[in-house]
Amino acid sequence: MFVQTREKVNNRSILFRKILGKVLPYLVAVLAAFAAVGLVIGLMGFNVLKAYETILFTSFRTPNGIVQTLLKFVPLMLQALAFTIPLSTGKFNIGGEGQMIVGGIGAAAVGILFADLPGYILLPLVFLAGILAGAIWGLIPAWLLYKFNINEILSTVLLNFVSFQLIDFIASEVWKDPVAGHPTTVPIGEGGWLPLLVDNPPLHSGIILALLVAVGIYIYTNRTTSGYEMVVTGANPRASKVFGIDVRKMFMLSLVIAGALAGLAGVIEVSGYQHRLIKDFQSNFLVLGLIIGLIAKGNNLAVPFVAFFIAILEVGASAMQRTMSIPVEMAYIVEALILLFVLLSDRVKIRRR
Amino acid sequence: MTDEPILVMKGIKKSFGTNAALQDVNFTLAVREIHGLLGGNGAGKTTLMNILFGLYRADSGEIILHGKRVDIHSPKDAIRLRIGMVHQQFLQIKSFSVLQNVVLGTSVKNKFRLNLAEEEKKVRELSARFGLDVDPQALIEDLPMGVRQKVEILKALYRGVEILILDEPTTNLTPQEVDGLFQSLRVMVKEGMSIVFITHKLREVLSVCDRISVLRNGNNVMTLKREESSEEAFVRGMVGEELDLQSSVVFSQGGLEESVQTVGQNIVLQLDQVQLLNEEGRSLIKGITFEIREGEIFGVAGVADNGQKELAEVILGIQPASSGCVRLYGNTITHKPTSDLLESGISYIPEDCLRDGFLPKASVAQNLILGFHKQKPYSRNGFMDLNAILNAARGLISDYNIKTQGPTDTGANLSGGNIQRVVVSRAFSHPCKLLVAHNPTRGLDIPSIDFVYSRLLQNKKNGMATLLISENLDELLLLCNRIAVMYRGEVVGVLDRAHLEKYEIGRMMSGVRTDA
Repeated sequence: MFVQTREKVNNRSILFRKILGKVLPYLVAVLAAFAAVGLVIGLMGFNVLKAYETILFTSFRTPNGIVQTLLKFVPLMLQALAFTIPLSTGKFNIGGEGQMIVGGIGAAAVGILFADLPGYILLPLVFLAGILAGAIWGLIPAWLLYKFNINEILSTVLLNFVSFQLIDFIASEVWKDPVAGHPTTVPIGEGGWLPLLVDNPPLHSGIILALLVAVGIYIYTNRTTSGYEMVVTGANPRASKVFGIDVRKMFMLSLVIAGALAGLAGVIEVSGYQHRLIKDFQSNFLVLGLIIGLIAKGNNLAVPFVAFFIAILEVGASAMQRTMSIPVEMAYIVEALILLFVLLSDRVKIRRR
Repeated sequence: MTDEPILVMKGIKKSFGTNAALQDVNFTLAVREIHGLLGGNGAGKTTLMNILFGLYRADSGEIILHGKRVDIHSPKDAIRLRIGMVHQQFLQIKSFSVLQNVVLGTSVKNKFRLNLAEEEKKVRELSARFGLDVDPQALIEDLPMGVRQKVEILKALYRGVEILILDEPTTNLTPQEVDGLFQSLRVMVKEGMSIVFITHKLREVLSVCDRISVLRNGNNVMTLKREESSEEAFVRGMVGEELDLQSSVVFSQGGLEESVQTVGQNIVLQLDQVQLLNEEGRSLIKGITFEIREGEIFGVAGVADNGQKELAEVILGIQPASSGCVRLYGNTITHKPTSDLLESGISYIPEDCLRDGFLPKASVAQNLILGFHKQKPYSRNGFMDLNAILNAARGLISDYNIKTQGPTDTGANLSGGNIQRVVVSRAFSHPCKLLVAHNPTRGLDIPSIDFVYSRLLQNKKNGMATLLISENLDELLLLCNRIAVMYRGEVVGVLDRAHLEKYEIGRMMSGVRTDA
């Protein structure tokens, strides 16, 4: 009884303090990272305040800025989740890049082969094929881990290289677009295009899918029995095994889900944005996804917010390069420093105990 | 005893985070005395002595040795001041010989050739003098726990300590070995040493100590000479006023016989020639055959690491038996997965709670449903019922007095005793047919131990079968209908309650078979 009444009274202030305690280190880390980069930009002889303004507000100044940010946000968030979900079981998926490429290949293959089918058939097929292809690319390391106990970090990284060759082969041999200078396939059928949400500037409806996925993942990990087993496996695999959870199956499942999510990111790029498969379309989303996942400390609920913030930085940084000719790499430095400072704040917290 | 004390600890305070472990504790050690430091778990006994040995720094207070104030920053300082400590967990290198372990960390004369003949002579001399019978050339890994403890004491003697601290030294000893240890301690005191004896077992301090100090919740309660005091006074000192001694199970004097003796008819668990091999094909347990009936508490005694954990894990299906058969109510369960067994009504309290039963990174509520998470009311159609989980967690937290901020608190914030409470309360939270409990009261304070015992007896009354594996012989003698003794993976013998005798069990624990 005593515990319960106290709990009620203090609930609000505890919640407030909890949130503050979680957000404060991030704020400090972001400020510190900006200060450090500002110093460098200043020493290079640029206008620091204008650089800050460009990097932070480009996304919100024009409709185009908002659309660009959202388009970046979708693959970033999916890649980050493809990293954090296996991480919640204690496994590291560094193969999001390959899974995204293979997902794109699956989508393009169906989109090109069945280009004449009507949209209501072709679009689901394109998505299904891409997600499945990504899931299979996640299943391979998962199965190797399950069967032979092969380290998933190695196998996921190495499968990335396989996928590079695969996309090169497809884009420059199988369905090569003869007019394009860069290895590119012919376009997929129009039925496989993701409908637009806004026509001008063009924003496809992938953003809605991505948000649905984020909500779905949150429900899965927090409200379902299987999600509980997954989280618990990461919290202590040995105890989970003792209490009847098939932990190796959970490792496998988490990697397959990750593959499917990264595959979805590939599908959305192909079906929503480029409408064809272009070599190197995966950009640097894997590395940024890892950074987002780590800044969010593996918390699936925090991933979308961090991903959105990083998308703002990415868009702002390319604007900064265009208008002020400050190298776009400055944004990477900011992102890396934020990660470092967030990790540092953990150490500070431990020290203070 | 001279009037001048060898050691005085004054006003010692120490807190870990917000948790005050010691609040202004005073401790005085006289020359040539065995001083018992008595208290339940979490009373602060070990913390106080860890401060003396330089493992922790006190927040405030002073240590006065031979009338002079000293600063002890590390165990190195402590050994220089001739203070030695034998911990509960031995710090030994298993692949080294006794002699190598003893001299390790000291500066031996000819250290490049490592000619240890002289050292060996010294060690042999010490073991003869103090009755610590150990072969200096034996490898540690070949030695039983009782002898390994002698090695640990020899290490301290070799370093020439005059104050020796023993932390729960009898935990892994047979009753015979305990007697031997006490004799050695007497010789040491006669030779001029002073000894601090940390324990939570009242009978031990009464049989060997000259003076006894009781700690409770980080406070001094009393310090008395043995002859001036009664058992009753110490019990009160240890548990405070909150525990009703009349209804207590821990301190009951044979009044339990009636409730313990009754046993049902149906066989719940049956093991038939169960064997478990490790990867190299060596058997970890073999030829295990026994059965447990409804309402029976079946004890397994033995020194740690003689196959008890493997026995539990075979029954739970965590490591399926290599040969033989395990039956639950007549159904073979030898190769069923753990999740099925948990669902069919087996509960488990693992020995190493932190490693095998606890999720430091998950919330307290998530911890409290582990193993039951697939069952109603926690899980419905694949979804978790968060309200049911939180309500159940709140209930267990208040029933078992788990000290936490609430069900959503992170597991890592809990102390050792509270982790044990979580794991124990979880096992009791669901009705079950068979409870496999391995050292269920380790790390608990006395009122909690009492609570666990009364739950065990209540479950027994309800017809549940219990396999109680314990290194605490008093616990087994108090509660069990029958006790099997394990030695090197085999059951040496099974004793009926009518024939339970401490020294007989002790002989069996060291591998001596009896015809009984």
